[in-house]
Order: sequence, then structure tokens, then C-alpha cells
Amino acid sequence: MVLEFFRRGADGRLEAVESKVGQMLSDARHSFDLAASTVLAGADPSVVGDDVHTTDKRINALEREVRRDLVVHVSVHTARADLPMVLAYMAVAKDVERIGDYAKNIYDLATQGTDLSGAEDLEQLDSYCQRTSLLIAQTAQTFLDRATPEARRYLAEADVLLKEYDDRIDECVASDRPSSYGVPRALFYRYLKRITAHLMNVLTALTMPVDRLAYYDEAEQDRLPLDE
Amino acid sequence: MALTERRTERRLPTWARLLLVIGLLYTFLAGVKFLESGIKAFGSDAAADLFAGISNPLAGLFAGVLATVLVQSSSVTTATIVGLVGSGTLPFDTAVPMIMGANIGTTVTNTLASLGHIRRSEEFKRAFAGATMHDFFNVMAVSLLLPLELLTGFLSTMAENAAGWLSDAGVQGGELGDSPLKSAVKWPVTQVENLIDGASDNVVGAVLLIVGLGLIFLSLAFITKNMKEVLAGRIERSMNEILSRGGGVPAMLVGLVMTVAVQSSSITTSILIPIIAAGVLTLQNAYPITLGANVGTTVTALLASLATDRPEALAIALTHTLFNLAGILVFYPLPQLRHLPIKAAQRLAEVAVANRVLALTYVVGTFVIVPLVGIVLLR
Repeated sequence: MVLEFFRRGADGRLEAVESKVGQMLSDARHSFDLAASTVLAGADPSVVGDDVHTTDKRINALEREVRRDLVVHVSVHTARADLPMVLAYMAVAKDVERIGDYAKNIYDLATQGTDLSGAEDLEQLDSYCQRTSLLIAQTAQTFLDRATPEARRYLAEADVLLKEYDDRIDECVASDRPSSYGVPRALFYRYLKRITAHLMNVLTALTMPVDRLAYYDEAEQDRLPLDE
Repeated sequence: MALTERRTERRLPTWARLLLVIGLLYTFLAGVKFLESGIKAFGSDAAADLFAGISNPLAGLFAGVLATVLVQSSSVTTATIVGLVGSGTLPFDTAVPMIMGANIGTTVTNTLASLGHIRRSEEFKRAFAGATMHDFFNVMAVSLLLPLELLTGFLSTMAENAAGWLSDAGVQGGELGDSPLKSAVKWPVTQVENLIDGASDNVVGAVLLIVGLGLIFLSLAFITKNMKEVLAGRIERSMNEILSRGGGVPAMLVGLVMTVAVQSSSITTSILIPIIAAGVLTLQNAYPITLGANVGTTVTALLASLATDRPEALAIALTHTLFNLAGILVFYPLPQLRHLPIKAAQRLAEVAVANRVLALTYVVGTFVIVPLVGIVLLR
């Protein structure tokens, strides 16, 4: 603890917070992949359950650490504290924590008996899961790289995904098939949509000022890559 | 955008910061030398008159409190006391209670910082308790150690022995020593004395005294400001470590190191207040940081003693360090005693939240009225 004072390294300008949010995203992806495997790949929920819950607790603990770090940052730097950044990190940490929660909701679907590993639309469901998982990884990397052009590109891609999820949910709601077919799919797509929306919120921290964080759908230019 | 637009700051390169701090430390030591020479220039009778009123130990204690409250820095007070002792005009025994008073006076800064939360009850309760546990610890330490010191002289004896050894070892140089450092800090004093050559002793004394006090105050203020900027990242990392690992002796050492680095216990303890107010740092974990800051702040007086001629100056600086170490040794190891200042502060905070005027009354009463009345009655 005392040696930490003498250690050379980052100057404390929120690098630790950035790293913790990166870790939260990595954990969120792990939790999502595990949860999806129980619904789509026939993984036994009782086998992966501990890992899902432990990972979720780790994400929650990291969110609390991020908040503490931000309070310390403001207290130490007082007038020189970067308040817009502090507010942005608070918002981003909450969004990532919510992704962990939705991953747990997907896992809960499996514990409630949903098993789509033999479903006729498995390929489509699996494809959406892979795209969502990849988007979590891309968001984490973009976030750590502070890569604004990539953030805009992924926002545009995620925007397409959101519309597709809405379409799939509409199909489930309008379907004449039994509720045991439509309800799990509607919930599954709903969770994928929420995860994607929270990832977009994270990405907006790289593309928008703090007052417009998460309002990516109100101005068309915010959703397009820079070169379009 | 929110996370990509960092504030642009004009920051000095590290080597420039280092040079600046060395320059400021030199200015600080020169300030002590100016002060010492100024007092000497007044003559021994004038100086004896000046301090005759505070020969009563309690009056000296209150003078230490009040002086520190007025300049908002125990470092300035203790450095001044060291300079006065170094000039031979403030008796060592009179200075001991004054330096203990400086310890109490320095807690006013974080107590004032806690008043910033006065409109939000829960925050204020935590913040006020966090600030006043420092007050309670210092008052308890003085209540026990000052009478003991007056009866036995145990602190001053240890300090004088240690000062003797250090002087013999050439650390301070002693009365007859003439280290290159002392020659260097004497040089600007000689230049100013040459400038006002021919003026009366009182004029020379007043000029040197004013320049000395100004240099001490300004150099310490700039050292603190500069070091806080340089070390903010390290302080932030250390605080985060304390939050994740808890308090105890390592936190005490962090408080000590932080305070030595920024040359101000007020900075260290005031940083804690908003973190305590937010409920992120517990009183139990903040408490050892505060005690470490108490010890860390004594380094300023030790530095100041390097610019003086007499081993008594080093002895009074060491008394400050030993007093704070003794306070920790008495009150920290046993849990029953360790938690007394925290419990007292929590109780006071509850009262203060119920009646905010009492909080203000406590601050004004403890740090201004009681010392002022004490000095008037006891001198």
C-alpha cells in the first residue's frame, strides 16, 4: 500500500477506472457466452450456474470500485478533476453492469426450461448471439483504445442489429404458434436488444458529449461513421 | 467526446518541478534564517518581552493553537517556532506547549472543510466526525502528554539527547558548526542586511522578520501547491489502495508519506473529508491516515532546524515528532483507547447534525474563543 505511492506508472487520471470498466466488459462477455450456451448449445445450467453468478458478482463489485475510485478522483483533484469524464464513467459502468444483468436473465431462461439447442431457427439465434458477443469484445477494445471512428462504425452496425431484434420480437408477438415457441424467443431477442443498446450507450461515451450520452437515436449524424 | 476530450493542462516537466521544489525549499530555509536574524537584531530584551506573556504553558499552548488557526498551517507555525528557538530568544521549554498547540490548531482546516457538507445531514455527520476525530485525538494527546511533559520533561529530554547526537554527527551543525547549507541560506540575509546598512536595530529586525515570515509562508504554500499537483496521481492511487485493502498501520504510513511529500497535513486530512462524507471511506480506515499525517507534518520543523545555529532548534523540532509518535503509541495499540477519538467525534457529529449552530459554535469556540480567552487570562 505504501509502495504504491512510490510506484511509477499512470498519473492517476482515471486510468485505473478505465481498466476496471474494460475488465467489466470482458466479464460481461464471459457471462453472456456462458448464458447463451445454456439456451442454445444445451449446456447444463447447473454446471455453469456458479460461474455465471460469480462473474455477475465480480461485475457488480467492479462497478462499486469504479464509483469509489471516481469519488477519490474528485476529492484528490478537486477543482482540477475532470467532471465530465467522471460522469461519463459513472454512466458507462452502470451500462456494463446492466449487460451482466441481462446475461443472467438469459441464463434464467435456461433454468426455467428454455432449450433452443434443437430449434429450427437455431442457426439464426446462434448468429445473433455471436454478433452480440463480438460486439461486446469490439466495444471493450474500442473503449480502451478510445477509438472514436470505430465507435461510430460499431454504433451504426449495432443500430442495424437493434432494428433486426425489433423485427424478430414483432414476429414472435404476431406469431400464431404456441406461447412456448414465441415467449422464450421474444424474451431472448429482447435481452439481446437490451445488451446491444447498453453497448451503444458505452460507445456514445466516445462519440458524444456527456449531456447526450446514450441518446444515440435522436440525431441521425450521431449514428453514422465519420466517412458517410 | 465525453471520454476522449481530456482537459488540456499546462504542466511543467518533471525536471522543472524538481528545480522549483529545490528552489522553494531553499527559499523556506532562507525564510527561517531571516526570521532568526530578525529576532536577534531586535536584541534580547525585546524578544524576552515578546514571549514573557506566554511563559505559562497553557498560554503557550493556546498561542500555538491560535497562531496556527490564523495562518491555517501548522508548518508555518512550527517553522517559525523553530526559527525563534534557533535565534535563542524563545526558550525551549516555552516552545514545547506552543508546538503542541500547533498540532491542535492545524485540525481547523479539515473541520472547516467538513462544514461544506452542512446542508446534507448524513454527509455532514460523516464529514464532521471525520474531521473532529483528528481534533479529539490531538486534544487527548495534549491532555495526557503535556502534563506528563511538564512533570517529567520526558519528551524534551529525549529530544535534546537526540538533537545532541545529531548535532555531534554533523546533521545540523550545532552552534559552532557552519555547514554549506547554512552558509547558503545566510547569504540572502547578509545581502538584505547590507542593503539596509545604517538603519536602527529595530528597523533591521522588523525588515528581516517580515521578509522571513513572508518567505516561510509563501514558500510553504507554493511547495504544497506544487507537490500536490505533481503527486495527485500517486495520492489517488494510494487512496484507492486504502479503500480496497482497509486501514491500519499501512494506511498510517501512507498518511505520513503523503504529508511529507506535500508538506501539509491539512492537504492530507482535507482530501479525506469528501471521501468520508460520501460514505466511501470509513472513519476507522481514515483515522490511521490522519495519525500518519500528524507525524508527517513534523518534517517541516525538522527541515527548518537545518537552517538554524542552535541544537535547541533541532530539539524542539524533534519534540514535535516525538510528541506525535508518543500520542500514537499511547492511543493506537489498544482498541479501547484507539476508538475513543472516533466515538467522541461520532457523538459530537450527532449533536452537530441535530443543531448545526452548535457545529459552528464548536469550531469558533475551540479554535478561536477558547485560545483567545486562555491567552488573555493566563498571560
